[in-house]
Amino acid sequence: MEKHMAVCPYCGTGCKLNLLVEGGKVVGAEPLNGVTNEGELCLKGYFGYDFINDTKILTPRLRNPMLRRSRDAAFEAVSWDEAIDYAAKKLGEIKAKYGPDSIMTTGSSRGTGNETNYVMQKFTRAVLGTNNVDNCARVCHGPSVAGLQVTLGNGAMSNSIPEIEHTKCVLVFGYNVADSHPVIAKRIIKAKERGAKIIVCDPRKIETARLADLWLPLNNGSNMALVNAFANVLINEGLYNKEYVANYTEGFDEYKKIVDKYTPEYAAAITGLPAEDIREAMRIYAAAPSATILWGMGVTQWGQGVDVVKGLSGLALLTGNLGRPNVGVGPVRGQNNVQGSCDMGVLPTEFPGYQKVTDPEIRAKFAKAWGVESLPDQIGYRLTDVPHLAETGKLKAMYIMGEDPAQTEPDLALVRKGFEAMEFVIVQDIFMTKTAMFADLILPATSWGEHEGVFSAADRSFQRFTKAVDAKGDVKHDWEIISLLATAMGYPMHYNNTKEIWDELRELCPIFYGVTYEKMEGLGAVPWPCRDLDSPGSKYLYEGNVFQRPGGKGLLFATEWRPPKDQLTEEFPLILCTVREVGHYSCRSMTGNCAALQTLADEPGYVTINPKDAKALGIRDQELVWVSSRRGKVISRASVTDRTNKGAVYMTYQWWIGACNELTIHAVDPIAKTPEYKYAAVRVEAIADQVWAENYVQQEYAKLKGGLSNAVTRATKKAPAYA
Amino acid sequence: MNRFVTANPSKCIGCRTCEVACALAHSDGAGVEGLAPETFKPRIRMVKTANVSTAVMCHHCEDAPCVNACPNNAIVYRQHSVQVEQERCLGCKNCVLACPFGAMDVVTVPAVRQFAGMTLSLGVKAQAHKCDLCVGRDAGPACVSVCPTSALTLMDRDAMDETLRRRRERAALEAAEVAA
Ligand code: SF4
Ligand code: SF4
Ligand code: SF4
Repeated sequence: MEKHMAVCPYCGTGCKLNLLVEGGKVVGAEPLNGVTNEGELCLKGYFGYDFINDTKILTPRLRNPMLRRSRDAAFEAVSWDEAIDYAAKKLGEIKAKYGPDSIMTTGSSRGTGNETNYVMQKFTRAVLGTNNVDNCARVCHGPSVAGLQVTLGNGAMSNSIPEIEHTKCVLVFGYNVADSHPVIAKRIIKAKERGAKIIVCDPRKIETARLADLWLPLNNGSNMALVNAFANVLINEGLYNKEYVANYTEGFDEYKKIVDKYTPEYAAAITGLPAEDIREAMRIYAAAPSATILWGMGVTQWGQGVDVVKGLSGLALLTGNLGRPNVGVGPVRGQNNVQGSCDMGVLPTEFPGYQKVTDPEIRAKFAKAWGVESLPDQIGYRLTDVPHLAETGKLKAMYIMGEDPAQTEPDLALVRKGFEAMEFVIVQDIFMTKTAMFADLILPATSWGEHEGVFSAADRSFQRFTKAVDAKGDVKHDWEIISLLATAMGYPMHYNNTKEIWDELRELCPIFYGVTYEKMEGLGAVPWPCRDLDSPGSKYLYEGNVFQRPGGKGLLFATEWRPPKDQLTEEFPLILCTVREVGHYSCRSMTGNCAALQTLADEPGYVTINPKDAKALGIRDQELVWVSSRRGKVISRASVTDRTNKGAVYMTYQWWIGACNELTIHAVDPIAKTPEYKYAAVRVEAIADQVWAENYVQQEYAKLKGGLSNAVTRATKKAPAYA
Repeated sequence: MNRFVTANPSKCIGCRTCEVACALAHSDGAGVEGLAPETFKPRIRMVKTANVSTAVMCHHCEDAPCVNACPNNAIVYRQHSVQVEQERCLGCKNCVLACPFGAMDVVTVPAVRQFAGMTLSLGVKAQAHKCDLCVGRDAGPACVSVCPTSALTLMDRDAMDETLRRRRERAALEAAEVAA
């Protein structure tokens, strides 16, 4: 048996593992003693590898480039030469006719790695000539980046994952760590064993709430009010660190003015929490010699995400919980490399290494290195703008790599209309996906396990992963495909391996310069910033309490609470909040093709509902139900549980039949443009004929699966088969 | 003393990694790709209620109700554990009803016989199905080795003594505090 070192492709914990290979096939995974996982893996890490082997449980792997010359034609397998020529010609025409800003690309925060993302943004900027490149951080931690960059100067986790277990207080806000990052959950449990106090703010009784010293089940959509009330208590009870505030922060007077109104009693009315609990939480947090705030999508996927992130960083500033070990602010990244795609500049605002596209000196540096006269100076479009831009004719072509927006974006009906309105869509992926069904050209790439590269874990650590098996079929590495396309469009681009790409980007990014492949050899993890070849990197940021802002001080920021956008009415009386579950990941193209994970959970997925709400609606546990909103209607299975708060229901977002994003609203944060996935008004209805409903689910599921797999088999009938 | 696996509810996060590991450890080497919802029968079960998440499995009792309930002596004490001799199991389900932990189940598996190099089907065979402590697995209980939060521990005499020692120490300290 061979063993090949890799980094888990699922969450941002960045667990190191060995892929076990027998006869060219991956047959197992075993944990390694990586910096962030220390010999642990979770359900997905252990049992989430068999998608590589093309199990076809959900969808087939892509084996050939596939083209359809018109939207009503079927896909046909074509050669790489033809695929690349076709793409180059089409993109060239669209660029000439409508200008470079009519084209948009995406990076991929998943298995492809940092090098590919670097090459994708380089292609977008230097070859297409636009900053229209974005990644799915837009729909998850975009607000954390936008918020923290303003208040502290850096959008990432301030401290490292291993430090979590040494902190004396963990404030978990809108973050279901057990389902999102099980191996980080262990750190929190260990912290508790070492005497740390755990405070959890979440409307649901999530696993961490069960273990918490204090659980604040706030009303859905009241985050800002609670964060302001926290600040109010810290200030008015004199719990804050006056010396720290005086020396290292600015904006206190303005800040105090706004939070003054948010007394615990005032916030109690909005949050539904007893005022005393709000006080108690801050007394615990302020008393701890070191305290860490961790948050997730429960903070960011709101129309007011950026403000709440700024507010949370304010709590850390008020108490001086920054700039040293075992403290800090932790927006814990969900997808395995969403930190990486931001690091690599697949953002409409920044080059790799967080260097602004609006800075002429930076542009000149990159233009020189890339051998082009100039680079675009206008900030590009955001991913969530796409449907609207396509419908209004501003966006004509899209090149989507390793993402499935037709499953993961809000208000899917709107997304589909957007794709249909575009003239040319390229999808580059390892699987046939719902998004690929809208493509004109599909480019098949190698999967995680079939290539090597570097990922960024949630705590800014760069780690290398290696190749375990040879790819089957006529597929290429993502970065090779992009290079071929660039060359065909008149910009010769060629790399021999990922290290060449890495070294090119290191030279261009001062904060990554010291992170060499050699340092990341084996179990090596190097957290940026790492500016020198002899530096081990930075486990925590803001050393000496110097913040990366003009003047070097942290900004205290507060603003008024805004209620969520969607309106509860008699017709739509319940709140739908979209969440995740431990066994499935993202759009499920990977986990849905893993036998173990699909065995534990399959279509149509669950809508969890409080027993009181269920009873009023005549719904019993495990029955199929309709869930509808102003935007759509889907079938799901009721899970009646006390862990779900009354008045709200929860669905995970990876199902095709129970697709909660048919229901979610396209309302976005004004700054980060992140959608309000956490609040849509819905109605849940019992279905009298359960037999019909069960059949309906099976039929629809079979139809969808069949549609995707037929598209591939029909196209490749004439092409060589790959076992 | 019989050995057994215990779960700590204050560490369990309800992730079911243990269930998959258990099913795989008893898959006759079929690997993950052999798993399917219809045949997924782990001997450990994660249970989630309003306030508790934990894993439940056989306690390998010293005076085991299942052993006592079996009319055909199919359940025996062996290798410091409670084991089922499947050839003797009738599928009568007495043990299922006797077990106070819900750790025993009766399942049916396809029964086959090898004859002259051919596999002959013999219909189905009932099996009393519960944790066998992964006897025969070199690395020990599969569930214990995968649990991401170390919520599971294998209790043998030594581990039990250690736990008892710690409990007594704590009790003594508490008593001293009360006295002070
Ligand atoms: S915790 Fe995250 S990185 Fe670690 S094994 Fe699980 S999914 Fe993979
Ligand atoms: S693997 Fe551990 S944490 Fe997960 S359900 Fe089993 S006992 Fe609980
Ligand atoms: S010890 Fe083995 S048989 Fe028993 S529950 Fe754990 S994995 Fe299953």
